Amino acid sequence: MEAVVVDAGSKLLKAGFAVPDQEPSLIIPTKMKSVPADGQSADGEYEEVFVDPVVRGFIKDWDAMEDLLHHVLYTCIGWEIGNEGQILFTDPLLTPKTVREQLVQLMFETFNISGFYASEQAVLSLYAVGRISGCTVDIGHGKIDIAPVCEGAVQHIASKRFEIGGIDLTKLLAQELHQSNPQINLDLSIVEKLKEQYACCAEDQSVYENLQKTSQVESHTLPDGQVITIRRERYTVGEALFQPSILGMDEYGIVEQLVRSISSVSSENLRQLLENTVVCGGTATMPGFEERFQKEAALCSSSIRPSLVKAPEYMPENLIKNSAWMGGAILAKVVFPQNQHITKAEYDETGPTIVHKKCF
Amino acid sequence: MYGGDEVSAIVLDLGSHTCKAGYAGEDAPKAVFPSVVGSIEQSGLDDAVGIEKESQSVSEAKNGIKTIDSDKAKTKRKLYVGSQALGYRRDYMEVLSPIKDGLVVDWDMVDNIWDHAFRQCLLIDPKEHPMLLAEPSSNPQQQRERTAELMFEKYNVPALFLAKNAVLTSFASGRATSLVVDCGGGSTTVAAVHDGYVLQKAVASSPIGGEFLTDCMKKCLESKGIVLKPRYSFKRKEIRPGEFQTVDLDFSNTTESYKLYCQRVIASDIKEAVCRAPDTAFDETAYANIPTTSYELPDGQTIEIGADRFKIPGILFNPSLIHTIPGMDKFDHSTPSRGLPQMVIESINKCDVDIRRELFSSILLAGGTASMQQMKERLEKDLMEEAPQAARVKVLASGNATERRFSVWIGGSILASLGSFQQMWFSKSEFEEHGASYIQRKCP
Repeated sequence: MEAVVVDAGSKLLKAGFAVPDQEPSLIIPTKMKSVPADGQSADGEYEEVFVDPVVRGFIKDWDAMEDLLHHVLYTCIGWEIGNEGQILFTDPLLTPKTVREQLVQLMFETFNISGFYASEQAVLSLYAVGRISGCTVDIGHGKIDIAPVCEGAVQHIASKRFEIGGIDLTKLLAQELHQSNPQINLDLSIVEKLKEQYACCAEDQSVYENLQKTSQVESHTLPDGQVITIRRERYTVGEALFQPSILGMDEYGIVEQLVRSISSVSSENLRQLLENTVVCGGTATMPGFEERFQKEAALCSSSIRPSLVKAPEYMPENLIKNSAWMGGAILAKVVFPQNQHITKAEYDETGPTIVHKKCF
Repeated sequence: MYGGDEVSAIVLDLGSHTCKAGYAGEDAPKAVFPSVVGSIEQSGLDDAVGIEKESQSVSEAKNGIKTIDSDKAKTKRKLYVGSQALGYRRDYMEVLSPIKDGLVVDWDMVDNIWDHAFRQCLLIDPKEHPMLLAEPSSNPQQQRERTAELMFEKYNVPALFLAKNAVLTSFASGRATSLVVDCGGGSTTVAAVHDGYVLQKAVASSPIGGEFLTDCMKKCLESKGIVLKPRYSFKRKEIRPGEFQTVDLDFSNTTESYKLYCQRVIASDIKEAVCRAPDTAFDETAYANIPTTSYELPDGQTIEIGADRFKIPGILFNPSLIHTIPGMDKFDHSTPSRGLPQMVIESINKCDVDIRRELFSSILLAGGTASMQQMKERLEKDLMEEAPQAARVKVLASGNATERRFSVWIGGSILASLGSFQQMWFSKSEFEEHGASYIQRKCP
């Protein structure tokens, strides 16, 4: 039986059997609704409580995660209780040791799997495009990670993590739309869909400033029948990545941060790192993002400029969104047959700390 | 007594230039960031108050700059710690260093730095991890007690240990007896370690460290007319496709100390990229016609560096070269400055005759400045000339530049993961029972 690869993000959980060059078979949102266990409801009403097990990339609510994984593994993937297979998880940057240990413990003790491996998302995204060295810029829902990787090892000293992500852009869009359409009440999930449909990046900073004054009007019909007009807000969302001051943050834009973080790595690998930059994550699929990235990179004042890697042709279309999962599928094909993973016997002998020794 | 279970210890090394933190048992620190903080005075952004404190360079003259008492932290200020926070230019942000001459003067800043390392870089809760801290080889009792108090009372760590830098470097190379030459950011310290203990009488230190050399590099470049433009002060614009122009941006509210800090970062990169230790004593005439190396500055300018490549590291071996650099005459001449080989010989001569032979044959190089090219060969050569005939001089340095930079941290990582070390921790209950002064007994 194939190993299963699970990439639990702040918004979407990607899972599937480790078949390389294919998309994950299961992409579901990680947001869950909590239902009272015994069906009791005070006064016939109960609040809908939404539970997010993964916050800003890290697993925070373990009970919810357990329920989610139970659903994913037994119902969707089709494992049978008593015949669990091997699983590969992806971790974001700077995962604390205790979180990793807890995950291993959960998998071996509650789910009784036969083999486990964990790897960092930055490295996996590079594997997905066929590289082992380079720099990953992962723009996710809950966080942005910039990680230089040399020969499969993340350079922690030079990597950066930002606590902004797709969710903050959604809130920004909601704010802006509310300002221009005061009568309409918008729910965040609807704004999320609007963002995915309409948000884009201006070509240049000066073009953005021009668009602020005049731009095309798009009108959109919401599910409840109301019509809203979207004008320049769509560009604001894209611009926020390059000028975080729009979000109220004291930081430089993404390309500047990338260059700064790479310059703190030793200079021998500089060229290799910069010329193999991978941008991944849902937010990076915004139209106009790649071109803007290249343009800003060209303005970057050094002889070696960041340039984005072209994905291999045999990889499916949605590589950018799911690159961590696909890299995981590639890695799983290598790790499990060669017995480099943690087996149940090893776990029983050493305990959860074995994850730090076997999986880097 | 702290048993030490599977929860791994945290190793923290707060140097005068960078702070290194990470888990014990790993081979490199996870969090490395500058140990200076950016501070913005909250009460009135009035520059007329002018509380300015020069960044860590010891050599810069303290003319006309008021030094503030460490307990003046009562003035409300917002501190920004970490390379990300410091990298962003803010109005009125001063860059301050908590460490002066190797000693902590501002505990509030140290507290913030530790907090940043724990909560933002490592993402841990200090309550659950024993801490191993690296301290300078001649740390006064009062500083150790203050450290212990801060750690136990504010962070509630379960156990603590203070280890001397020299001892940790020694462990990192697997030796219990050696002479450690630590060329760090703020100073250069030579200390003899015997059976895991530092021989206090043989500790020699000089204020010439990496930061000092960076300042010399900056002055050398300025004397040639090259001005280092900090990264924030310019922007590139594309006037025509393919043609770029650098536009200067004016930020009048940026403080001098921040500008200096940014220029130092650039000068430090130049120093690390091009400098090499000269094979023999530096001589102006001999190196006058040396071929130059080019280096590209962040704003696109390419500069050529010739003899300065060798002059700057030569200062470590022959401090009188400082006089030849224009602008550095303000250097304090009260302490007789001797070169690195002289410090090593001096230190060894202060030790017992019996161990001198062993010290000569195991001289360890550590620290960021020591990872300069040819440093090891030059030191070995100079020492062989100055040492007594019978002694066999051997200078050891790990080949990997990262290992040299972090050797103190790595030693700490090794020490904290040893099984036999687990009973030596100074636990919280012992602190509560005996007080902070007990640390002198527990951490020799």
